[in-house]
This record gives sequence, structure tokens and C-alpha cells, in this order.
Amino acid sequence: MDQSPAAVRKDWLEEFEAAARRPLSQRVKYAFIRTYKPVLDDAEFRAFDTMAEYREWCETNLPEWLGYGR
Amino acid sequence: MAAAFEYRQAEEIRDVFARHGIRYLFIGKSGAILLGFPDTTQDADLFADKSQENCSALIVALRDLGFTLTDEQASEILRGKDFVQLKNGPFDLDLVFAPDGIERFDDAWNRRVEVERFPVCHPDDIIASKEAANRVKDRESLPRLRAFRDYWKNRR
Repeated sequence: MDQSPAAVRKDWLEEFEAAARRPLSQRVKYAFIRTYKPVLDDAEFRAFDTMAEYREWCETNLPEWLGYGR
Repeated sequence: MAAAFEYRQAEEIRDVFARHGIRYLFIGKSGAILLGFPDTTQDADLFADKSQENCSALIVALRDLGFTLTDEQASEILRGKDFVQLKNGPFDLDLVFAPDGIERFDDAWNRRVEVERFPVCHPDDIIASKEAANRVKDRESLPRLRAFRDYWKNRR
């Protein structure tokens, strides 16, 4: 399969065109998924004074593979 | 754990927030999806105006939507937190009051895009916030998101 930047960009454009043909309700239906995220999903409420505090909490507490680190 | 976010829940947010006069915008990937970005995400992210008046109304609206906020949690929102994560309602919701990369709510509000009456951050703002956040997951999604922004602008 062609993985050149031009080919990837062409694939993306085709996906954008296809999405544009679907109604919003259908786009939302297939866009939102639910999987358990360890630690992140284990509390019902969290509040952080600053975004920096939130980012630091994510880096310290969340598994790296979740992708919340910098 | 709440079930996946559904379109009717997005409509509920829109309608309940409108009834309470809340100033907010869909942001992040959930905002991009409303604009037509074909991708997946887990939570709805809302950028809300941090004013006391807006936060007071927001608490009432969230309770109307079915979030079980304790008085202490409500007072935390009122005290002006930058980020609040809610998993105590019918769907998961991230409330962002000071997203990275966006200086003021009013700036984003003035640039907003309306999609079927959903107020959404302009794709430039969605991208700016992800660039500033610079997490691994942001860096992974940015090239495709930038391509979508260009596509979206050409279509308008």
C-alpha cells in the first residue's frame, strides 16, 4: 500500500468528503466510542485550579500509553 | 462508566444550555467531529466562559442534564477552576475554562462556528489548543486535523 505523504493526504481527503456526505447525527453516532481508561475513569469528579496542574496530574498518574504525557 | 456519548445527548446539552443562557463552545476532537472531522473520541469537551454568572447557570444546567453535583463540587466550579472532569452523569464531560493556546473566551466566541445550532470553536482554535497542549495524543492527531482544517476552509 502506498504510504507516501501524497497518498496519505489523498486518503484523508476522501475520508473528509465521505464524512461531509453523512448527516451530523450519523457522524456523531460513529465518532464517540467508549473504552475504559485506567485511573482517568476511576473518579466521578476532578477539578484542577490550572491547566498546568491538570497536565502535571496526567503525567504523574496516568499510564503513558494513554497518550496524555508530553 | 457512562455509555458512549450520543447525538441526542449533544442536542440535550445544546438545548438545556441555551435555555439557561450558557456561554460555551464545543472544543477538542468533539468540536472537530461536529465540524465534520471523521475520527473517534471518548468524551465531549466544552470550553465555557469562566464568569461567575455563567458558572452559576452552568451548575443548574448540569443538574438539569442529570449530573449529580454535590454542593462542594458545585462550589469548586464556582470558585473558577480551569479544568473540571465530570463522570457523574449520563455521559462523561470535560469542562475547560482556560484551554491552552486560547487567550480569552471572548476571542474564541467571536470566531465560533455554528453547526446545526451547536456552538463550536473555529478549527484554528481547536488546533491552537492542541498545539499548545502538545501531548502525545495531540501530536498524533494534529497532521490529520490540520489537513481537515484546510479542507473545511476550502469548502466554505
